[in-house]
Amino acid sequence: MLILNSVDELLAHIKDVQSDVIALSNDSLLKMSNFIEKNNLEIDEDISTALQYQDIITQQLNASIEAIDSMKSSINRFNHAFESDESLASESLSKLQAKLTQTLQDAKDKKNRFSGKTAEHDAPSDEIEFF
Amino acid sequence: MPLVIFVDDSETALASTRMVTNSMPIEVKQYTEAQVALAEIQAGMTPDLIITDLNMPVMNGFEFLQGLREVPATKRTPCLMLTTETKAELKQQGKALGLTGWIVKPFNPAQLKQAITRVLRLPA
Repeated sequence: MLILNSVDELLAHIKDVQSDVIALSNDSLLKMSNFIEKNNLEIDEDISTALQYQDIITQQLNASIEAIDSMKSSINRFNHAFESDESLASESLSKLQAKLTQTLQDAKDKKNRFSGKTAEHDAPSDEIEFF
Repeated sequence: MPLVIFVDDSETALASTRMVTNSMPIEVKQYTEAQVALAEIQAGMTPDLIITDLNMPVMNGFEFLQGLREVPATKRTPCLMLTTETKAELKQQGKALGLTGWIVKPFNPAQLKQAITRVLRLPA
């Protein structure tokens, strides 16, 4: 299906942009932290938090890249089934919809999981918990 | 000086912890791959405290912890998880594996320092 090929290409482009953003933000933060260390500058809580956001950004973007890979794989499977036998299109479309719904749910779960203390909910009041 | 090892696949996360620990009376070793840290421990390195991330490629924090507990020298070494994860089920899983504590990112530098001081019983 032509439209799904376009969606597939769009997803590939979004994935490339996200990968570039991960690399750039990582490089940017490393340069800043190298400067801080080289000059023996003391960091306060705000700067420390800002530096640590990089980790959260990377995890969030990697999780959405995983979702994109999953969507691309489902779309490609549908396209393959559709090309083999158009009579299977309706059944394949239902399967595609179910897969995409599951991918969206998984991606939302990961967004919550990887938010750390920036999550609006379930963030503990005491950030260090001893067992 | 007590040896503390940090394991995190994020170099910026390791840099953040380095800025906290560089004024402490401890020796620090950092690893971006848990399997490399585990191999050094299996080869005889004996850290006094291990601080590890959970979500890492190849070997995650729980797998690393399981590996540590199989090495006699680190069977009871204190281990803290430093992660973005906040789920109670994961904390329970860590506790069952003998984790000492759970720190949520982004961490407060003073509190991380206090946690290390407390676990290693360093002078405050």
